[in-house]
Amino acid sequence: MSDAITLDAVSKVYGKGRGAVAALREVTVRLPGGGFTAVMGPSGSGKSTFLHCAAGLDRPTAGTVRLGGTDLSGLSETKLTELRRERAGFVFQSFNLISSLTVEQNVTLPLRLAGRRADAGKLAALIRRVGLQERTGHRPGQLSGGQQQRVAVARALVSEPDVVFADEPTGALDTMTAREVLTLLRQTVDELGQTIVMVTHDPVAASYADEVLFLADGRVADTMSGPTAAKVADRMIRLGAWNR
Amino acid sequence: MMLGLALTTLRHRRAGFVGAFVALFCAAALVCGCGTLLVTGLTGAVRPERYAAAPIVVTGDPEVHVLVDKGKGKTKEKAKPNAGRAWVPADLAERIAALPSVERVATEVTFPALLPGGADSGSWGHGWESAPLAGLTLAAGRAPAAPDEVVVDAGTAARAHLSPGSGTAVRTPSGTLPVRVVGVTAQGFDSQSAVFFGTDRARQLAGHQGLVSAVGVFPAAPSAAADVRALLAGASAGPAAVVRTGEDRGRVEFPDAANAQVRLVSMGAVLGGTALLVALLIVVGTFGLSIQQRQREIAVLRAVAATGRQVRKMIGGEALLVGLAAGALGAVAGLPLGGWLHGRFVALGVIPANLPAVLSPFPALVAAAATLLAGWAAARISARRTAAVKPVEALGEAELKPPQLGAARIAFGVLAAAGAVVLTALLTVLHADQSSTPVCFLAVLLWCTAFALLGPVLARVGTAVLGLPMRASRVGGHLAFHNLRAGAHRLASVVTPLTLLIAMACAILFSQTTTDRAAAAQRERGNAADFVVGPRVPASAAEAVAAVPGVRTVTRVLHTQVRDGLTRRSVQGVSPERLTDTLDLGVTAGDLGRLAEGTAAAADGLGYRLGQHVRLTLADGTAAEVTVVALYSRGLGFGDLTLAHGLVAAHVDVPLDDELLVRGVDLSRPALAAALHGSPGSGCSTTLRRRLRRTGPARRSATSCWG
Ligand SMILES: Nc1ncnc2c1ncn2[C@@H]1O[C@H](COP(=O)(O)OP(=O)(O)OP(=O)(O)O)[C@@H](O)[C@H]1O
Ligand SMILES: [Mg+2]
Repeated sequence: MSDAITLDAVSKVYGKGRGAVAALREVTVRLPGGGFTAVMGPSGSGKSTFLHCAAGLDRPTAGTVRLGGTDLSGLSETKLTELRRERAGFVFQSFNLISSLTVEQNVTLPLRLAGRRADAGKLAALIRRVGLQERTGHRPGQLSGGQQQRVAVARALVSEPDVVFADEPTGALDTMTAREVLTLLRQTVDELGQTIVMVTHDPVAASYADEVLFLADGRVADTMSGPTAAKVADRMIRLGAWNR
Repeated sequence: MMLGLALTTLRHRRAGFVGAFVALFCAAALVCGCGTLLVTGLTGAVRPERYAAAPIVVTGDPEVHVLVDKGKGKTKEKAKPNAGRAWVPADLAERIAALPSVERVATEVTFPALLPGGADSGSWGHGWESAPLAGLTLAAGRAPAAPDEVVVDAGTAARAHLSPGSGTAVRTPSGTLPVRVVGVTAQGFDSQSAVFFGTDRARQLAGHQGLVSAVGVFPAAPSAAADVRALLAGASAGPAAVVRTGEDRGRVEFPDAANAQVRLVSMGAVLGGTALLVALLIVVGTFGLSIQQRQREIAVLRAVAATGRQVRKMIGGEALLVGLAAGALGAVAGLPLGGWLHGRFVALGVIPANLPAVLSPFPALVAAAATLLAGWAAARISARRTAAVKPVEALGEAELKPPQLGAARIAFGVLAAAGAVVLTALLTVLHADQSSTPVCFLAVLLWCTAFALLGPVLARVGTAVLGLPMRASRVGGHLAFHNLRAGAHRLASVVTPLTLLIAMACAILFSQTTTDRAAAAQRERGNAADFVVGPRVPASAAEAVAAVPGVRTVTRVLHTQVRDGLTRRSVQGVSPERLTDTLDLGVTAGDLGRLAEGTAAAADGLGYRLGQHVRLTLADGTAAEVTVVALYSRGLGFGDLTLAHGLVAAHVDVPLDDELLVRGVDLSRPALAAALHGSPGSGCSTTLRRRLRRTGPARRSATSCWG
C-alpha cells in the first residue's frame, strides 16, 4: 500500500530570535496507508506539533509534507481547509464537539461544511459502529466523556478520510472508557482499512497501534513495530520520559 | 448552510444573545421613533386653525432669501424662516377682492392679548372681521362694538370661565385693558386663545399702521389662487407677499412651527443616530463576548473543516437572525414610541400641538434595515479576529489569551486622547455658544473613540487600581482580581459601549442645561439693576415705573431673533438711555453709549468688527442696517446682538418687554409695586424682583403684582 503521509526533513520553529523554540527538527517519516501509528514521547517533545504539521493544521518552517500524495506547502489557507475536509479526520483530547448541535449533526458537520449530503445508510452504519444509535438526537452536554469521544471518532470517519489524526483521544478518559475508544479505533483500522495517527502518553494506548514512533526533543528517536504496553513503557523509560 | 448552523446556535445559546437582542430591539425602536419625529419634521404640516376656513391665505413673505454663490459663476437662492409674522398692506385686500375669480376676502391683524391666569404665549388679539377666516360663528352674545367689548373663542371661554357679560382684563402692547365679554364663539382652538376686538379697535391695538397680518381669500372660481399670484407678481415693488393654500396655510399662521420642525429633524437625527451607534458598539461587545466564550468550538469548526469565510458567515448569520427578529419587533414597537415621543415633546412645548406626528412605514422599514445592517456589521467586526486565528493556536490546552492590542490601535487611541485633551482645553477658553457647540460634540466623540480604542488597556489599569483593596481579602478578592485582570478584554467590550452611551447622553442632555446655566450666570453678573420687573411688560408700565420718585433708569429689554444673511442671531433690544446703569455687558471694545436706532453692539467671537455695517433682517422680514459701535463678552447671557429697543419693538410679534431693569436711589418695593398696580399696564404674571447688588444673586423675594 502507498504512503498515506510523508514528512520530508520537516522542521518547526516557534517564535523568533532568542526566544525561538525548535519543536521539530528535520523529521523525515513515512506512514503507510491502512496502518495505526502511535506517536509517543516526553512532554514537549513535539508530538502535537508533528500531528498538526502532518495534518495540515499548521505549516512547517521547513521541509515538505504530503498528505495522500498532495504537497501541502503550496496551498492557501482555504485550500488547506478544503483538503482537510476531504482527506483528514480529527479527534482531540476534549472540546471536540459543537455544544449546540445534536450527535447526528455533529457527526455530519464536515459533510455539511463541504456542502455534501450524508448517505443515510452509511451514516446509520457509522453511528451503529460507534454504538450511539440510541443517542442521535442528544446534545454533547447530555453524553459521558467516552460517548463524546465516540461521537468525535464518528465525525472523523464520516467523510471517509485518508487519515484520522487523534491527539491524546483518551487523555481525559478513565481506563475502561479509554479501552472502549481504543478498541473502536482498532476496529476501524482492521475492518475499514482506515489509516490512523494517534498521539498518546499512555503505553497501553500505544499498544493498540501497529507501529510506535518515539519523539524526543523534536527528533524521531526510535520506532517500534508490534508494540506491547510493557515494551513501550520500557522504551519510554530509556528515553528518559518518566525518570526526571 | 451556515445560516442553519447559526440558527441552531442561537436556539441553544439564547442567553448569550439576549444582550445583542435587547440592544438591537431598543435601537430599532428608537430609530423608528426618532425617524417618525424626523419625518414629521420633514413632511409634517402644521394644521391651520385661524385660517382653516379660508382656502387661500395671503401674508407677507415669512422667509429671508439670500443668493448663495456656489462657485463657477453659479448662484442658488436659499431661504430661511424669520422669527415672526410678515405683514402686508391693507389695501392689498381690496385689490384681491376686485379680482373676478374672488368671491370675498377677510383681513386679520394679530397682537398679543394675554388673559389673567392664561397662557403666557399663544394668546392673540384680532379684529372681529377676521372671524370668517376660521369660520367662527357666535354661540352666544353679539359682535364687539364698543372699544372695550370683546368676543372670545369657545376654548378660551371655557378655560377662563368667561361668558357674555363677564368682565376681565387683557394685556396688550398698549397696556392692560379692562374689557367686557359680549360674545363667545361656537368653535374653539386647540393651540391658541383668540380675543376678538372690534375691527377698528383691533387695528389700533395691533400697531402696524396700514398693514394687516393676513388676507384670507374665498374664491368664486378655481383659478383664484393663480389669479392672486399673478396679481402679486405684477404688483410693483412693495413688501413681498406670498400665497398659501392647503396645509401650507398652517406655516404662515404659526411662524414658530418651522423652527419646531427643524428642531424635530435635528433631534430625531441625533437621537436616532446615537442609538444606532451605541447599539452597534453593544452588539460588537456582546458578540465579541459570545465569540470569546465559543473560541474553542470555533477552533474545532476551523480544524474540522470550516474555512475562515464560513465561520465569519456563521457569525454574521447569527447576527442577521438576531437583527432580523430584533429589528422587526423593535420597528413595530417604535411606531407607538414615535407617537409617545411626539406627545412628550408637545407636552414640553418643544413643538406645537397642531403639528401632528406623521406615521409612515418608512421609519419602521429604515429602522429594521438599519438595525439589521448594524447587527451584521458589528458581528463581522467581532468575528474578524477570531476567524483569522489559526485553529492550532486556539486548540492549545492553555487558557486562551486575548490577542495583544495592535500597536496601530494603541497609537490611534493615544492620538484620539491627545486630540480630545486639546479640544477640552480649547473648550475652557471658548465662551461663544456658536463656536463651542460643535467643538463640544467633537470632543465627546474623540474621548469616546479614545476610550473605545484603549478600552482594554484602561480596563486593565482600572482593575489594577481597584484590585489593590481587593487583594487585601486573601482568597476571594485575590481570585476575583485575577479573574478580572484576565478578563480585561471582556470588561472592555462592555465598558466601551457604556462609555459612549453615557457620554453621548450627557453631551446631549447637559450641553443645553450647562449653556443655560452659564448664560444665567452671565446675566446675573451683568445685571446692575436694583429691581427687575417682568415678563410681558407693556410700555405703559415702563412709564409708570420711570415716574416713581428716585428711579433714575428704567431699561426695557425685549428678546427677539434676526437674521444676518441666513444666520440666525439672538438679539436683545434695550432702551439705550443710561444703559450702563443697569447692564454690564462686559464691553471689550467701542462704546455702548453710542447705541441708537442705527447702531448695534455685538458679542465677541462672531466675527463682527467695530464700525462694520451689518444688514439685518428683523423678525417680520423688514431690512435694517446698523453700524457696530461696541463689542461685548457676555454674549451667551445677553444675546449675539444688542440693538436699540425702538428698532426691534415695532417688528416683533409680541412687543411686550421681557424685563424692565430698574435703578435708582432709595427705591422701595412698595413704591414700585404701587406704581405697577396703579398703572393699568402691569398685571397678570408679571413680578417685581429685588436685587441686592454686588452682594450676591438676586434675593428670591418676588411679589406678584396682579392677579
Ligand atoms: N504556539 C507555540 N508557540 C511557541 N512554542 C510552542 C507553541 N506550541 C508548542 N510550542 C513548543 O514546542 C515544543 C513542542 O510542543 P508540543 O505541543 O508539540 O509538545 P507535545 O509533545 O505535544 O507535548 P505534550 O505531551 O505536553 O502535549 C514545546 O517546547 C512547546 O513549548
Ligand atoms: Mg501535545
